[in-house]
This record gives sequence, C-alpha cells and structure tokens, in this order.
Amino acid sequence: MSCPKTEHLIQEYFADDLAPLAREELESHLNSCEHCSSELETLLLAQSNLNQWQDQRVPHWDRGMELFRREHRVPNGGYSFWNRLQWLPTAASFAMLAILLLNVSVVSSEEGFSISFGGSNSDGAYLDSRLLAFEQDQQAVMNSLVQRMEDRQDINNIELLQAVMDQTQQATAENLDRIYAFFEQQRLQDLEDMRVGYQELVDSDYATIRSLQQIAQFVSYQGDIR
Amino acid sequence: MSLIDEDEALIAAALNGSAYAWEKLVKRYEGKIYNHGLRLMGNNSDAMDLMQEVFLGVYRNLHRFRGDAKFSSWIFRIAHNKAVDLNRRKRLLSSQTRVGVQEETDIFETIPGDSAFEPEKTVGEQELNREIVSLLGKLPIEQRLIVELKVFQSQTFEEIADMQDISVNTAKTRFYTALKKLKVVSEETHVLS
Repeated sequence: MSCPKTEHLIQEYFADDLAPLAREELESHLNSCEHCSSELETLLLAQSNLNQWQDQRVPHWDRGMELFRREHRVPNGGYSFWNRLQWLPTAASFAMLAILLLNVSVVSSEEGFSISFGGSNSDGAYLDSRLLAFEQDQQAVMNSLVQRMEDRQDINNIELLQAVMDQTQQATAENLDRIYAFFEQQRLQDLEDMRVGYQELVDSDYATIRSLQQIAQFVSYQGDIR
Repeated sequence: MSLIDEDEALIAAALNGSAYAWEKLVKRYEGKIYNHGLRLMGNNSDAMDLMQEVFLGVYRNLHRFRGDAKFSSWIFRIAHNKAVDLNRRKRLLSSQTRVGVQEETDIFETIPGDSAFEPEKTVGEQELNREIVSLLGKLPIEQRLIVELKVFQSQTFEEIADMQDISVNTAKTRFYTALKKLKVVSEETHVLS
C-alpha cells in the first residue's frame, strides 16, 4: 500500500519554516496514513543513527603557525615582546658566573672607572689606604654622633628627674597633710573616748556609793527591828 | 562577551599579526572542521588534508571576512567548497569514487594518544563512527554534503541551497533522497550482518 503524498509530505516535514496550519494538516495525515507514518519513522531512525556520531579528537598538527609566523615576521617560538627576551636570564647567569670566576674588580677613582681581572697587590695597598681613611672618617662621624646623643640624653635625664621630684614633693606634702589630719582625728576621738570612760567610771562610783549607803541603811534598819 | 564577539576580536588580533589569536581561533574550530572532514572524506588523512586546506583558505581570506555573517557559517562555507574540490581531485586521481568502500578502515589509523585513557568507551565510539562513515560513504558527495549540513551543522534548507547554488526544493529533495538511501543501505547492512 503506497500513498502519493509521501514524498512531498516528508520533504515538508523536514522543512524549517512550515506554517503551523500546514504542520497540523501534515500531522493529521500522518495519523491517518500508515504508509507515510512508517516511512517517516524509518527516515527519522536513519537520521537519529547519524546523530550518534562521537566527535573525535584532532591529531596534532601545526595549525598554520609556521606560515603565520613567517608571513607576519613573528620570531619562532615567540608571541610577544617579553617572549623575545627569554634569553636574558640565561645571559645574566653566565655574566655573573664569568664575573665570579675571573675575579673581576671594578674600581672607581678620580680618574674614572677601571676594570681589572684577577686580584693585584698594588690595588690591595691602595684599597687598604682607602679603607683606613674610610674607617677614620666613620670613627669621627660615630664619635660626634655619640657625643650629640649623650648631650641630648643628659638634658633629657635632668628634665625627667626634675619632673619626678616635683611630682614626688607635691605628693609627699599631700600625704603629710593627710596623715596629720588622720592623727588629729584619732586624738580627738581618743579624748572623747577617755571622757566617756571617766564619766562611766564616775557614774559607777556613784552607783557603788549609793548601793553601799542602801546596804548600810538596810543593816541599820534590821538592827533597829531587833 | 558572546562567542561571536570573541571570534571577531580574535580575527582582528590575528589580522594585526597576533599568532596567539590565530592559534586560539584555529583551536576553537579545528575539532568541528576535522570531524566534518572525517564524515565527508571518510578517512583520517583526507580529513586532515581538508582541515589544513580549510584553515589555509581562512588565513588567506581572513581580511575579507566582514562580520555580516557568523564566522562559523563563513568557515563552513569554505569547508564545503574545499570538500567539493578535494572530492573532485580524488575522483580524477582514482577510478574509485566511493570513498567509503575504499577507505572505510582507514579512519582509525591515527587515534590521538590520550584517547587511550578510556579504551572501552573509545572502542564503542569508534564502532559507531565507523558505521556512520560507512553509511555516508554510500552516498554521492552532493547528498553527503546535504546530510552533513542539515543533520550535523543544523543548517536550514535556505542556507544549504545558497551554499550549493541550488533551489530550496532541490535541497529538500536531495535530503529526502539521501535519507531514503541511508535507510536502504542501513537495512542491507543489518541483513548482511
């Protein structure tokens, strides 16, 4: 069983800009026509089989870099200004090594700079005298510095002592005042206590006398009764 | 920044002589172009040839890219033309026109070293890819190109028609014919196996 519409219909099915109405019509025909629907199904299956493709990794290749660099005059292996200076660290290391191995000395004097390879005695004597002069200079500078520092320290110390003493004097006077006031207060309190004590003593004496008088009266009274 | 803008920035930088930008641009598209080549040409060495020709074409014509179309469309148009050329040259060189028959076992000659990390998965993928290449190899180049553009590059029939200089209806018919042929070949293969 075949259908005359199949070819056209399936071509339309894969079209990108099928109008919604036409899409509806197409769907309704597919629902009713077994031939068309089974044909479409197998074609969709063939298409989905293709979609199972798994991307493969690109083997290593030059990416046209050689050509690009040649035509743009880019030095091989270098992309930028800094990359072109890659030799610098190595060169610097070699220069350092050469300076160390050859015992290079650079001397600056009134006549200008002089570079010499390996040590020499005349240089040594000159160097010694220069060193001595330098040491003396340094000593003088240090001495003057120490003197200035000592002076300044003395002044500071005196000022500090003065301040401490002032402070201490003031504090001592205040303390003495406070102690005096305390003693005075204690004295007054003691006097008061003594006065009270005497008063109590006097009172108790009076009480004793009175009780003695009472006893005497009582005794005389008893005697009278007998 | 979208991908398109980045493409444009890379193109501008590459035109100004930045080898880094050029390499980045190539890296971005080489996978797509290489796999496109594998499906169209059917084997690794032709796919590599195609990819190199495509990027050489891109390099030579980069200053002509105006940015009114997407760079990906532009590069696939170049790839399409190069594939047609390469196929024509191959046909002249050899009486064997059907690449799939001749070289279908060739595709896995060069497997990149690091794919060996997942051997089982890779074998499975290879098997599927091998079948797909074998099926596509049964189609004439015009139909193979249409299937490639429609199924793998998701292009519209208008774009395909424009690229191949044919009418939209012809493009649709070709695609339908190609799918029918694929169905038949696929059924034959399954019956035989």
